[in-house]
Amino acid sequence: MAEGDQITCDVAVLGAGPGGYSAAFRAADLGLKTVLIERERVLGGVCLNVGCIPSKALLHVASLISEADAFREHGVGFGPPKIDLERLRAHKDAVIGKLTGGLAGLAKARHVEVIRGSGVFRDVNRFDVTLADGGTATVRFETAIVAAGSEPVFLPFLPDDPRIVDSTGALALPLIPKRMLVIGGGIIGLEMATIYAALGASVDVVEMLDGLMAGADRDLVRVWEKHNAPRLGRIMLRTKVAGANAKRDGIHVRFEGENAPDRAEIYDLVLVAVGRTPNGRRIGADRAGLTLDVRGFVPTDRQMRTNISHIFAIGDIAKDPMLAHKAVHEGHVAAEAAAGRPAYFDARQIPSVAYTDPEIAWTGETEDTLKSRDTPFGKAVFPWAASGRAIAMGRDEGFTKLLFDPESKRVIGGGIVGAHAGDLISEIALAIEMGADAVDIGKTIHPHPTLSESIGMAAETFKGVCTDLPPARTRS
Amino acid sequence: MSASEVKVPDIGEYKDVPVIEVHVKAGDAVRRDDPLITLESDKAAMEVPAPEEGEIAEVLVKVGDKVSEGSPIVRLASGAASDDGGETARSESTSAEPKTETETEAAEVKPSRSPVDSEGEATAPPPRSSSGEGEASPRVPLPLGSDFGGVHASPSVRRLARELDIDLTKLKGTGDKGRITKDDVKRALGGGGGGGIPEIPPQDFAKYGPVESRPLTRLKRLGGPHLHRAWLNIPHVTHADHADITDLEDYRKSLDAAAKEKGYRVTLLAFIMKACVVALKEFPTFNASLAPDKETLILKHYYHLGIAVDTPDGLVVPVIRDVDRKGIVELSQEIGTVSERMREGKIAPQDIQGGTFSISSLGGIGGTAFTPIINAPEVAILGVVRAEIAPKWNGEQFVARLMLPLVLSYDHRVIDGAEAARFTRRLAVILEDVRQLVL
Repeated sequence: MAEGDQITCDVAVLGAGPGGYSAAFRAADLGLKTVLIERERVLGGVCLNVGCIPSKALLHVASLISEADAFREHGVGFGPPKIDLERLRAHKDAVIGKLTGGLAGLAKARHVEVIRGSGVFRDVNRFDVTLADGGTATVRFETAIVAAGSEPVFLPFLPDDPRIVDSTGALALPLIPKRMLVIGGGIIGLEMATIYAALGASVDVVEMLDGLMAGADRDLVRVWEKHNAPRLGRIMLRTKVAGANAKRDGIHVRFEGENAPDRAEIYDLVLVAVGRTPNGRRIGADRAGLTLDVRGFVPTDRQMRTNISHIFAIGDIAKDPMLAHKAVHEGHVAAEAAAGRPAYFDARQIPSVAYTDPEIAWTGETEDTLKSRDTPFGKAVFPWAASGRAIAMGRDEGFTKLLFDPESKRVIGGGIVGAHAGDLISEIALAIEMGADAVDIGKTIHPHPTLSESIGMAAETFKGVCTDLPPARTRS
Repeated sequence: MSASEVKVPDIGEYKDVPVIEVHVKAGDAVRRDDPLITLESDKAAMEVPAPEEGEIAEVLVKVGDKVSEGSPIVRLASGAASDDGGETARSESTSAEPKTETETEAAEVKPSRSPVDSEGEATAPPPRSSSGEGEASPRVPLPLGSDFGGVHASPSVRRLARELDIDLTKLKGTGDKGRITKDDVKRALGGGGGGGIPEIPPQDFAKYGPVESRPLTRLKRLGGPHLHRAWLNIPHVTHADHADITDLEDYRKSLDAAAKEKGYRVTLLAFIMKACVVALKEFPTFNASLAPDKETLILKHYYHLGIAVDTPDGLVVPVIRDVDRKGIVELSQEIGTVSERMREGKIAPQDIQGGTFSISSLGGIGGTAFTPIINAPEVAILGVVRAEIAPKWNGEQFVARLMLPLVLSYDHRVIDGAEAARFTRRLAVILEDVRQLVL
């Protein structure tokens, strides 16, 4: 492409992560001439390349290792795992390649023009793109969908050292450290802690807040903590990193706060997972007149329109939670609205999943939020200790919790902790969207013996009619 | 040079009427009575004309906006120059941000802004400005609906509500446990009434021969639901009779001959209208409407008669006011000018409102009888077809008389068959005796 080439389109999508490519593909399917601008060589964004997908590939390996280990005492021993880091990396990269290659095919099949380069607004109708292959191009659009995502927050006081990494660096599996520190006890930090602990590292976690996995109900997190206490090193809550020095024998980290160790600790690898920040300030927003909020999000309305009505923003750059499935839904809304359709973000719930071991998943209202708002609610818990399947798997530490509106008895939220919780949460998601109540769920025949049964049984427990638990006082 | 706001005039009972067309843009010069915007009512499209000559300084509405009496439409600078001062007084929208101009297209191209508050909720975005190529984009943002939080409706129903622009929070669900169903949403549309009515299954007509699709005219699209509603809601009965108008026709012709020289015509319709008023005064239940509770009859002490006018775009029923206080000549002239206006498509909101009884005359075309649909919420409508010479027995012999067929459709909830027969007979007697009209 020559210098200053101009490309004209109906819709220009900036960023080809899950939100961006979903928006572009939907726009193309609706007959709009669509251009997809992506600064990386491959499509898929953080999620496919350095996020959800590679982390799941490695988490699967981690769960294989821990499951094999767990069955030693039940009579099946495999011996200690031999880990070939290079082949493991290749496996992970093959997973990514398969998915991103598939995306390129989908784009082609829809005649979505993919422009590889870094785009910024030139004005309210144009992007300037610095092409990956050199040169520049201008993309002139009728409508733009900004899906430029987020990036890991960087702690400026940490030294510049290859042993201090963000999630991208950790997923690259540079080494299996003897001692590792995870700064930030959120979902990303704990997923990486799970992977590295399974690979044999001793992992410490430091978290500024009162608890791990902010946003999840504490009862769910407690099960995780109990299960992981033997596998992890220190978990330092209400503590922060005061400073760090990169030395030859490792990164010397000093802590301060309630659970800070007296002396600096030495780590072979430090993962900074203190959150992500939206890329709103990296897109030339002011040249299009886009408003940003203090954190760098691009605020939108319910149609994902920004203050400039023909420019939309979706995904991480638009608002929390920064989740791929939320971005995809928003991408569809924005593309349809861009095509003149009356699409709105009317979803009731956005599920969250920590793919840790055990997994934690929740959606809709959480018990802790309802309590903090003094909102009355009904609750039912089915402990997996009463689930035949969970016992058979040797994983009966979990439970399934449903939250109900006390008037209508409709499900308004739910949380699950245990193996495959992330796959189980969808039923609760559907129940919330459809307005199902406890009887609807309880009277739906669930297959036996499965983990999904626990949702039906939790609903029966709410009605006091669960025959897999001791008799309860009958509720009306 | 100051610009004044032009507001939506009195459009009768209507509130939150959607704007279906915007005819002007900033910078346009308009003359008095040039249409500014078109509003959609349940009966017809209504145009809001410019009150005076001037230049449009700013358009304050867009297609899809809902307006009521007093809503600002445009800012109109009287005289030649336009001015750019003053903040737009958009209701609710409080965007205080300065408008910037793009470097590519000067003057006219402004990035349209929709104010977004801290929660990310926005009020209706202003219309998208054309991007310099002249034509305004057809992709106009829809007004943002309310939050459907807490509503018992599945995602597919929520989506349908968005497509049909129905506020789910205002609906009562008829589904299990109060769930709002797709049928509830469709019913809330109003116009169709379709909920309980089985749809006519679609067919692939092209299988049987060549076809073409032609969109209905706007008048038909807007009028259709009104007719459908009336047809479905009112138990119609049509009563038929004949009036001997031999003498009346002689009298009319003598008046018409004189009128022609003055440039207008005296039509039979004017006499029929006068006759109707006489009959309506004697039978007040025919000049009435059923209250919404369907337990009370609202009798009207005014006589505004709707007359069906055939226009190139379809049927319009303009209302001639105070027929009881107007003479034949005055009515004849008014019928002429109003019909002409309707045919030119210049239909003002007040033209089609406030009728108490309607007349559909097909006499100029032909026919022997038909069943007119009552112009709800009126309770009766008179149809007339072509008068014909017929042999009438006068007691001694057959004589040739000019007989006018009358068909009266009435709302059987309000009017009984015997009353309808008496009313129609009375109407015939009045038409037979010209003197009765004068009285």
